[in-house]
Amino acid sequence: MSEQMTAKVDVDLAQPSILSRRNPLRYVMLLAGLAVLVMLPYWIYPPVAMDILCWGLFAISVDLLLGFTGLLSFGHAAFWGGSAYCTGLIATHWGVPFPVAVIGGAVFAMLIAWPIGYLSVRRTGIYFAMVTLAFAQMLYFIANQARDLTGGENGLQGIPRNFFGIEAVETDPFYFYYVGAAMILVGILVAWRVVNSPFGRVLTAVRDNPARARALGYDVERYKITVFIISAGLAGLAGGVFAVSHQFASLQELMWTTSGKVVLITVLGGIGTLWGGLVGAGVVVTLEDYLASSGFEGIGLITGTIFVVIVLLFRHGIWGTARNVLRRYVLERRGRQRD
Amino acid sequence: MRSRTVQGTVAIAATASLALAACGGAGGPQSGGSSKLTDDKLVIGLLNDQSGVYKDLSGPNSKVAIEMAIEDYKAKYGDKAVAKDIEVVTADHQNKADIANSKAQEMYDRQKADIILDVPNSAAALAVATQAKNKKKLYINIGAGTTALTGASCNKYTFHWAYNTSVLARGTAGTITKAGGKKWNIVYPDYAFGQDMNKSFTKEITTAGGTVGQSIASPFPSDNFATFITKAGEGDPDVIGSMHAGGDLINFVKQFNQSSLKGKVQLAVGLMFITDIHSLGVDQFAGTQFTDAWYWNFDAQNKKWADRFKEKTNTRPSFAHAANYSAAMNYLEAVQEAGTDDADTIVGKLEGKKINDVFLRNGEIRKADHAVIHDVYLAKVKSSAPEEWDYEDIEKTIPASEAYGEANPACSMS
Repeated sequence: MSEQMTAKVDVDLAQPSILSRRNPLRYVMLLAGLAVLVMLPYWIYPPVAMDILCWGLFAISVDLLLGFTGLLSFGHAAFWGGSAYCTGLIATHWGVPFPVAVIGGAVFAMLIAWPIGYLSVRRTGIYFAMVTLAFAQMLYFIANQARDLTGGENGLQGIPRNFFGIEAVETDPFYFYYVGAAMILVGILVAWRVVNSPFGRVLTAVRDNPARARALGYDVERYKITVFIISAGLAGLAGGVFAVSHQFASLQELMWTTSGKVVLITVLGGIGTLWGGLVGAGVVVTLEDYLASSGFEGIGLITGTIFVVIVLLFRHGIWGTARNVLRRYVLERRGRQRD
Repeated sequence: MRSRTVQGTVAIAATASLALAACGGAGGPQSGGSSKLTDDKLVIGLLNDQSGVYKDLSGPNSKVAIEMAIEDYKAKYGDKAVAKDIEVVTADHQNKADIANSKAQEMYDRQKADIILDVPNSAAALAVATQAKNKKKLYINIGAGTTALTGASCNKYTFHWAYNTSVLARGTAGTITKAGGKKWNIVYPDYAFGQDMNKSFTKEITTAGGTVGQSIASPFPSDNFATFITKAGEGDPDVIGSMHAGGDLINFVKQFNQSSLKGKVQLAVGLMFITDIHSLGVDQFAGTQFTDAWYWNFDAQNKKWADRFKEKTNTRPSFAHAANYSAAMNYLEAVQEAGTDDADTIVGKLEGKKINDVFLRNGEIRKADHAVIHDVYLAKVKSSAPEEWDYEDIEKTIPASEAYGEANPACSMS
């Protein structure tokens, strides 16, 4: 399964990026991206804008495994939700500023990712997906039973949002967005660094041909565990910010539907594109938010239809398709110049 | 080199954004107008499940109920009405607490909702209670059953109108035991709601002089209850109590009916809505006892309202519809009395108010924990329905004080 899934994306990655370091267009696009990030809460209701970034980083963490290592994790809700609860507990009981709590949550996600990763990376494809799903379900039932700690199905409510006594950030979602966005941005940069590093190159090699990577002397399993833990940490960072933003953590965060939603966002945005996750999250979260007040009763029907259409018509996702169009345009122009 | 450039850009962008935010102040608090009503109108927000399992219980038809309240209010006060322009905004939380949370904030901040109504699903209900407290705006919960709303999570702006899980326990367990069903076996789903229900049922049964032979935990969710039903039949009990809800309840009852226990042992259910009976069919539930907060065919007053409701929706109202009507109506009355939509003033008007209306009988908005107490009913499912939705025989009215007991000691309003 994973071979089929990755076969179509590695063609893209094998080609050198059109936007090389010297190309000014690269910086124009980076700046445009940052401008969108800054302006988002002016266009969209701030708590919803925060949700988009959280789900975006969550999707990026899944893409790190799915697109760059060829592992489809169907249990990432364990790290997102585990961190949400842990962040909430730290913030509630110790009253620390929320960035500290979120980091604590992310570290917790990485800690639980180590044994889960150790046991699951030995399998690939559907087996890997099922093993991760099983662990996530385990965590879901633990959280459901440990009601003294988690509040059971009532959820962990009223998580404080302490931030060094700066009241605007603590109470107003608009200002909170910028602190949350800064933390998400750090996560995105980590993911970007991982992908564009020698380590990331090895991951791609492991994805495309594990046997050859092993023959070259790379410890394939160790690389997989490491990226699994990094991915869990990023999912945890996103989940922590999400919990602080909503001021609660509920069982919904650990539910398998959450794992499904984030895979959907990743595929929608484009597997193996990294940035696609943010675009996918933008589409899914805004759509969900819009449909919630639209009075329309078949919300699942619409998101499902969009998913089917994207998978059938734009197999590389939104970002992947846009990138391919741009690449074709640039290459054609270069070709014409050479003539 | 490359990463340093990016970091620099990020730093600049972050600084710029903070500066922008400080100047723009788009999210800052806004001052109220000079009118008695903010924005010269009242906005009632309805936040519930409009596409999932609770769609029939409250869902879109609750909007119809609220509009009936507005109609009645306008008819009653005419030109003297304080609120002339009343708007209802709705959102579908899809049973997801995070969507409920964002939508509640949006309703209070952007859509200028003065009050939010309904919100089934306990995690969603509690999340909205936190927002009501933060924004200092009114919130009347109807659809959720958790006692935390009037307990640990209670606050000045949150009211709980229709029922809660301890009322169900007092109503069903207490009443049936006193009527002679002394020996109980309980089957409950093994998660917070089920454990709570088991605990409160056991307490009420023993207080009323009965005994609980076994409390059997079943995994949640589950579709095979055969072993648990067999086990529950051991020891020759008078009553088997099922604490399941929703899909689990339907499976449990189906399998109970197929077992040899049907007809020999009374089945009592912890949490059941008229919509559950409707979806499974009245014959499947026949003879089952449960506590209902309101029933449309109980008396002439209810029937009259239900007829009006049916004209508009072509269906009979559930207790949640009537409760939404009652909550909206009493809120509008309080606005009329206070002459303003200021939340603190309205809370003052509502607290301690004694109410008798189509939904609340011997009702009182209890000041101590904001539970709205009222008479509830022990119902028995009919063996056949004379007309669609006519499923219940009301066996006993349980007085408000008995059903609700003392104010929740876990609640502190400050």
